[in-house]
Amino acid sequence: MNRFVGVIPHTRALGLEVTAVSPRLRMRLPWQETLLGDARRGLVHGGVLTLLLDTLCGSAVLRGLPAPEVCPTLDLRVDHFRPGVAGHDLWGEAWVVRLTESVVFTEGLIWQAPERPLARGIGNFARLGARNTPPGFAEALFADSEPTP
Amino acid sequence: MTHDPRQTWLAETHARGDIAAWLEAIPYARHLGIEVAERRPRFLYRLAPRPENIGNPLLPALHGGVVGAFMETAGLLELMRVGESPRLPKIVDFAIDYLRSARVVPTLAHCEITREGRRLANVSVTAWQEDEARPVARARLHALLVSPDG
Repeated sequence: MNRFVGVIPHTRALGLEVTAVSPRLRMRLPWQETLLGDARRGLVHGGVLTLLLDTLCGSAVLRGLPAPEVCPTLDLRVDHFRPGVAGHDLWGEAWVVRLTESVVFTEGLIWQAPERPLARGIGNFARLGARNTPPGFAEALFADSEPTP
Repeated sequence: MTHDPRQTWLAETHARGDIAAWLEAIPYARHLGIEVAERRPRFLYRLAPRPENIGNPLLPALHGGVVGAFMETAGLLELMRVGESPRLPKIVDFAIDYLRSARVVPTLAHCEITREGRRLANVSVTAWQEDEARPVARARLHALLVSPDG
């Protein structure tokens, strides 16, 4: 899974890492000034949470499928419970709620301190099926070699 | 009257319509490459097609989360911009429908304030690339409107 996150240029640049795949997919986004949405008040940009939840839920989809398949995000909803604050890593988890033949329903959660969740995400993904998945898709996602920068 | 420098800054930038100054204070927006694309006849925001904004290197396509972050930023800036008095919107919830894969070309966004109450506002955001008739995503958000000293 770290390889998968490593081939996504945006999250690679931010240093996102997978810290667990079981029982739920978990990732850590190290604290950095770039994540700020309000530099004066020291608050994390809400869009960072959208980005994290999209990545987390999409990765949970790949893990939840019997074989890797192209699954574009249909929609994503993010509820912001409280703002993230400067100086602390962001943690997130996502899981598949339901897998059907054509759709994958997921949920995710973001926090800095575990007892104080920052945001909840609900993401639905379309399954395009093996027929629309290019050959080499799985290999490209989970390549053994480190992606070239 | 307050002498809070933050409130003074917000009032001055608001009076000038200085969105660039606001973007300067949003490090993640700078990281993504968000800017004002057009002021007339409509106010449009633009996301730069930076290589670091790619989410799918196979297609290649922009990261859906980056497109979402761009649209959320545009919606909140629009609320700051059009309000009669300067205030800071706080995001409550954000929902995005992905309609097409976003290619690695400039992305534009147009915002419409669907509802603006005393404390809460609803904004719709549409994003497209070359052809406005073929949007890549539609989003909507709720934001809490707070005065800058709150």
